[in-house]
This record gives sequence, structure tokens and C-alpha cells, in this order.
Amino acid sequence: MSGDAGPAGGSGISRREAIRRAALLAGVALSPEWLSFAAQSQAPAAKTYLTAAQGAIVSAAAERILPRTDTPGAIDAGVPAFIDRMYGEVMTPVEQKLLIAVVDEIDAAAKAQGGSFAALPAAQQDAVLRGVAAAQQGRQPASFELLRQATILGYFTSEPVGKNVLHYDPVPGAYDGCVPIDQVGRRNWT
Amino acid sequence: MFVQGSGTAQQTYDAIVVGSGISGGWAAKELTEKGLRTLVLERGRDVKHPDYPTAMMESWQFAGRVRQSRADAARQEKQGRTGYTTHPASAHWFVDDVENPYGEVKRFDWMRGYHVGGRSLLWGRQSYRWSDLDFEANARDGHGVDWPIRYKDISPWYDYVERFAGISGSRDGLAQLPDGQFLPPMAMNCLEVQVKERIARAFGGRAMIIGRAANLTQPHNGRGGCQYRNRCIRGCPYGAYFSSNAATLPAAYATGRLTLRPFSIVTEVIYDPKTGKATGVRIVDAQTNQTTEYFARVIFLCASAIASTFILLNSKSDRFPNGLGNDSGELGHNLMDHHFLVGANGVSDDFGDRFYKGQRPNGIYIPRFRNLDAQSRQKDYVRGFGYQGSASRENWARGIKEMTAFGADLKADLIAPGTWRFGIGSWGECLPYHENRMFLSTALRDKWGLPTVTFDCGWKTNELSMRKDMMNSAAEMLEAAGLKNVTPFDNGSAPGLCIHEMGTARMGREAKTSVLNGWNQVHAAPNVFVTDGACMASASCVNPSLTYMALTARACDYAVTEVKKRNL
Repeated sequence: MSGDAGPAGGSGISRREAIRRAALLAGVALSPEWLSFAAQSQAPAAKTYLTAAQGAIVSAAAERILPRTDTPGAIDAGVPAFIDRMYGEVMTPVEQKLLIAVVDEIDAAAKAQGGSFAALPAAQQDAVLRGVAAAQQGRQPASFELLRQATILGYFTSEPVGKNVLHYDPVPGAYDGCVPIDQVGRRNWT
Repeated sequence: MFVQGSGTAQQTYDAIVVGSGISGGWAAKELTEKGLRTLVLERGRDVKHPDYPTAMMESWQFAGRVRQSRADAARQEKQGRTGYTTHPASAHWFVDDVENPYGEVKRFDWMRGYHVGGRSLLWGRQSYRWSDLDFEANARDGHGVDWPIRYKDISPWYDYVERFAGISGSRDGLAQLPDGQFLPPMAMNCLEVQVKERIARAFGGRAMIIGRAANLTQPHNGRGGCQYRNRCIRGCPYGAYFSSNAATLPAAYATGRLTLRPFSIVTEVIYDPKTGKATGVRIVDAQTNQTTEYFARVIFLCASAIASTFILLNSKSDRFPNGLGNDSGELGHNLMDHHFLVGANGVSDDFGDRFYKGQRPNGIYIPRFRNLDAQSRQKDYVRGFGYQGSASRENWARGIKEMTAFGADLKADLIAPGTWRFGIGSWGECLPYHENRMFLSTALRDKWGLPTVTFDCGWKTNELSMRKDMMNSAAEMLEAAGLKNVTPFDNGSAPGLCIHEMGTARMGREAKTSVLNGWNQVHAAPNVFVTDGACMASASCVNPSLTYMALTARACDYAVTEVKKRNL
């Protein structure tokens, strides 16, 4: 099979054009394109592993770690469902305990401020998270760090972000080792 | 259960090749093209090009994104030791450690791919010729036994396999790293070019070259050119890097003389004391557990450095109570691998307005510069090392390292390309030591009730002394290249982790001290050839696969000549 003329190469051209069109939408807040991806990734999972209360804290915390701006936030990117699945199917027992520990810490810190974390205004949620992170400074391993890392991982490996926030080019076809950055955009490659 | 088929005729071929990886694929191609009806026995499942299930998948299509499930990880505890092999995109190419156990007197990381194509689907594709610096090394410093061949013996075979496989690279005129039959080289990126120039200036012309890789920079022999996806380890639907599946096996099939039998675990070579030759091999069918024998005039063991030697050790007879061809007592010994995971990295403030386009499946290479001559001789160690590396702009994964930061600014920052970073890691030569070995264990059995391999292998003073220089020289070069925050590292690496295991059935000039002769023939069973990593008498510091290809093609040519002369 020839990569230039073969079936995969041939279909790659039109696919790349489609991707380029899609990429133009990146940065346009709330574009229908990525909203539909977000909807897909938020579709109810067959199974959830965290309790509803734990899931609500994870979801709200993830959204403060990577909030919606002119680009999707953690919830748009399906991060809460990703972390739930990681917890249930992927994380080691040590990581599972850390995740529950940080959820409990966030919960306790929020209640000390007089409410459930998910219901607090964003500024207060940030203050709670900063407090939890500060209290863990120097702790090894730090449970807040696990939640933060899982959020970043889930966000940047998600479909809405991979396709419409980062620069998506699954079949580049060529390599140029030194191009003006404005020619390709100030975004990392997916 | 022993089941013999309907007579030996249907189980008789001109040649049998055990294994379908880099060496076995070449043996299949060469033997069939030269007219021999050839049976290839592969212990794993069939994999037909271009059926690579994860090749076109994106991160979000894997359940755990970048990690396999706890349940899957539990079955690949040892295969996961590299940190990359059991990524969900490639885990299916690595064995189930529960079904395929092995023992470790000392830690040994044995990464295996049991399927048609073997590790030719998974390899790093770096392809370098050895030079006489390597072939003369044992004779010069007295470690191991002298190689029975020199560069002039293998050079035309390097030409031959390079022309077919397609190796991209630049011609650099280096005595220690001979040029070959190259396709156009891949390009360096902005920072790599700068570092190259600065290293040359600071160290009297020391070379930094683009990696010589079995990745096609243009369509070649019916295979497609590289698409710069850097997803090679998943299998390439374009056939743009060399693998048995995309290159040698299709050529062998095209002759009409290839029979490939998957799920065939070769347990032993059958030896006839009357003729002094092997008559065939015995297999266990991995699915039915049935035992069958196949017969041929020549047998090529290309099952990997460890598996080919396993078969020989397990082939016991009155003539060979310690394993076929083991008169020297060296079978299973002199196990080597490259030691690595030592080097340095640093960052650059330059090129903030530059980026790259495409994912290059290759890096840079700094060829060996130690112990080449009197001037570069080291007092603490013999042999040498090279470096592989690359420059790139940091991606979102840098956010994983910045403790505690969160919020809108973090997100915006991680979407944008980060700092330029340049890193090199060193691959060092390991000496052949008799006491570094693998042996059979009958106490630990695999899923099929077969004996297993146990490893007893470790680095010694020469490797450990070399590592200090590997780290310090890396930092010295990066400092001289003007990089900032230069950080040396030595993460340590257990033997095996480099996946360059070799040396367990070494070639040599004398039957007393080696297993194979200069044509890769078992001294005491001349119709048995071993042409994979097992045959290596020393390790060099360069990646070995290209040398296995050349040795295999050379041995096949010799074997067919001998068959036609009726000497075999």
C-alpha cells in the first residue's frame, strides 16, 4: 500500500480539510461543534464509581482547576466522568485512597465555611482549594496534586479539547522543524 | 498429547524458521526468494498488515486515556516496567506475564511481543552500522571472544538490507559509524540545529547527526512514506517503517513458497546423532496443546536472543545433555543489553517565535566519541556510548509538574506551547561476562507446562564507571551548547529494559569457547543457524537490529549455497 495514493492516504486529505475547518472554530466560545462533543462525553456513563456527593465535589473542583473561559472548562470536557472512571477502573489502591482523601478534605474545608463545596460561589471554591493545597505543601504524596493532575490529564486528552482547543492534525504528512509560530498557531499539537 | 499428522511428507519443508520478528522475517524472505519451501513457526497470533487496531485511535478513544485498567495492568506487571510499553495504544503487542512467567535472580526486564512480526512492530527503528571498532573490540581488550567476522564481511549485507528496508539518514563520513544506503534524512528542528553547531564548535568537530531510522522519508519498495504521526509502536498502516508484517513477510508470501503457522511454540530442535545434524523441530500448539513435529534440511532459530537459546537449552539428548550445541558450556551465558537512562536535559530561551509542524518519529544521535583512539582513551573504562535525544517545546503535560497551580491562567498557559527543551540520553556498551546468564527453570512452568527462563545478570564496574562519564559528558555538552538549567540524570536501568538483549549463543572462532561459527551455524549441528541477538559476541553501543538483519541475510545466502552444494 502506498501512503501517498493508498486508501488511508487518500481519505486523509479530505479528512484533514475537515479537521482544518473544525480547527477554525477553536477559541470561539460555546461553538456548537465542541458543545456536541462535550455533550457526548457527558453522556451518562454505564457505571459510576464515586457516590453522588463525592462526584459533585470532584466535578466542582475540576471546574475550578480548569474553568470555562473562552475555551471549554473541565465539565465541558467531560473531566468528572473521566475521573470517576479512572477511580473505578484505573487508579491503584493508593491513588484511590488519595482521591477520596482530597474529596473529604475539600468537603470538610467547605463545611467549615458553612456550605457544601459544590454550592459555594466560585471565588469561595477557589479559596477552599487554595487552603487545601497550602495545607498539603510538602506532603508526599499530596492528594490535591492527584486531583489536579487527573483534571489536567482528563482535560487535555478529551475529544473537545483535542479536536478544538489544541491543534489537531492526526496525519500531518510532512515535518517542518522550524516554522514561524504564527503560521501554525500558538497552540500545542494534540 | 502427541499427535503426528498424516505422514511426514506434509510436515517436511526445505527450511524451518522459528520466529517472525526482525530476524525471522528476513530469513523467511531470503530463503523463499532463493527457492526454499519455508515454514515459519510463530508462537503467537497472526497479524496481517495493515490490521493494527489502535493505529488511528485518539487519546479519548481509550477508556483510561493514557493508562490501562487495573485488571489489565495486573497481567502485565513486568511488561509495564518500561513505562511506555503497556500504554493502552500498544499494550496488546506485549505478552501476558501471568501466562508467560520468568524468574529473576536479579531484576531483568524482559519485554516480549508474541505475535506475527514480533518486536519488529514495536522497535525504536534506530539503524546504525557497526564498524571494526566494534568487531575488533573483544580481541583488542580481551573481554569475551574474538568475533569471527569483520566489517568487510558484513558491509555488503548492510548495503543489501538497507536498500530493501529503507533507512533514512545523512552521510556523515564517520569511521566509527559507517555511512550506508540511505534515503533522504529527516530534518532537525530549530534548537537541534543550534545545539549541533555549538557542540561541534566546542568539542573540536564532535558530531551530532539526525537519527538514522528505518522510517521512510519517501515511498519505497511499494510502502508509503512517513506521515509524521509518531505512532509507530501501534503499527503503521502506511507501512512507513520497517517491520516483518509490512516488508519481509509480504515479500516471502509473494514467492509462493512461504507457509506461516501461528500459535506454534517450538519447544526443541530434534537432533540425529547418526548424521550429526538436526532433522526438525517439535512444537506445542498454543491453542490446542497438541505436539507436532516438522522437518527440514536447514533450521533458522530467529526467536529472539532469549527464546532461541531457550529452545537450544531445552533440546537435550544423549549427545547434548546440556542443550543442543552446548559443548562449550557458553550457551545461555554472556547475556548483554545496553545500559541507558542516563544523560542530561536543559531549556533554551531562544526560538520562542518558532515551532515545528508534524510529529517526527526520530531524534538526533551523538555517535560514540570515547575510546576511539589514543587521544580519546579513558582510564576508567573500555568501550563507549552514544546519545539519542531531541528538542521539543513542552506541552500540556508540564502542568503535571507545577505543584498546586490551578485556574484560568494555568489553562491558557498549558494550551500554548511551552519552553524549548533539549534532552539526551545515553546508550552504553555492556561487556560480555560469562556469569551474566539465563538458565532454564523446571520449577516455574508457563501456561503450557513448559520450563521457563530465569535471569541472573547485572552491570559491573566497567558499565558503572562508564555511566558517570555518560552523565557528565551529557551535561558538559548541553552547557557548552548554551542551554539553561542543565540537569544531569542517572535513573538507573536494569538489564533487559533497553530491549537489546543479546549474546546468549555467541559467535566465535573456536567451538571450545563459542556456540556459533562465523556463518551463524551451531558448531556441532551445522544445519542449525541462529541469527537473532543470541549470536552476538559483543554489544557495541549502537542499536542492534540492523546488524541482525544483515547477519540473517548473510547466513541465509550461505545456507542456501551449502544446500545447493549438498553440504547441508
